[in-house]
Amino acid sequence: MNANTNTPKAIAKLLTRAAQQLDDNTVSALHQARNIALERQSLSKPVFSLSTERGTRWLMPHSTHQWAAAVILLVATIVGGVNYWQNTQEHELVHLDVAILTDDLPLEVFVD
Amino acid sequence: MNNPIASVFLLMCLTSASVGAAEEAWRSLSPAQQEALAPLSQQWDSLPEQQQHRLLKTAKRYPNLTPEQKQRFHDRLEAWSKLTPEQRKAAREKYHAFSKVPAEKREQVKQMVRQSQTKNAQQPASSVPVTQPSSQP
Repeated sequence: MNANTNTPKAIAKLLTRAAQQLDDNTVSALHQARNIALERQSLSKPVFSLSTERGTRWLMPHSTHQWAAAVILLVATIVGGVNYWQNTQEHELVHLDVAILTDDLPLEVFVD
Repeated sequence: MNNPIASVFLLMCLTSASVGAAEEAWRSLSPAQQEALAPLSQQWDSLPEQQQHRLLKTAKRYPNLTPEQKQRFHDRLEAWSKLTPEQRKAAREKYHAFSKVPAEKREQVKQMVRQSQTKNAQQPASSVPVTQPSSQP
């Protein structure tokens, strides 16, 4: 008998029966406690997130000096990028010119 | 905080700005540049600035060429400089496309061009048509 009451199935049956026998006040208190627990759970924030406001706000400039610095850095990056691209293009053109001028195929092959 | 960033910005602008394509007289070129661009000595001063600028960059590679490549470079330089920018652009595109062709096919084309050149070179010397190789039927 004692062995029977200790099985998980028997315990679940006893709990169900006990829950059904609870008075309204107890059921109401348990319901309220459950809701409070669920609310707390939904309020908790993830440990790491890229999309939270607090996560990106610190990156924004706060003063005029910081804004000026940010704009200068942005312009410098764009100018540097464009210049790098132009140099790469120029390098490629010079490489092709030398190749055409020194190839063992005559120039007329490549010129219309 | 602003000053160091402004200094970096100015430095970047100064260092990254492309070298002005100021027209350069033939006399102002270095001996190495003059040697590389020798076939253009007469018309150099009348070439557009941008073309001069690119030719000077091309001349930088001249010392690294083999004697045979140097000869070809000199032989073709004048004709190349007389092409229009559009013709040069088209030639670069054609060369670029040709360089993508598999090596085997490229060699076939080169062989065909060599044969054609040989044929053309022989024709003015003797008006007799080139005889077919005996191995062919």
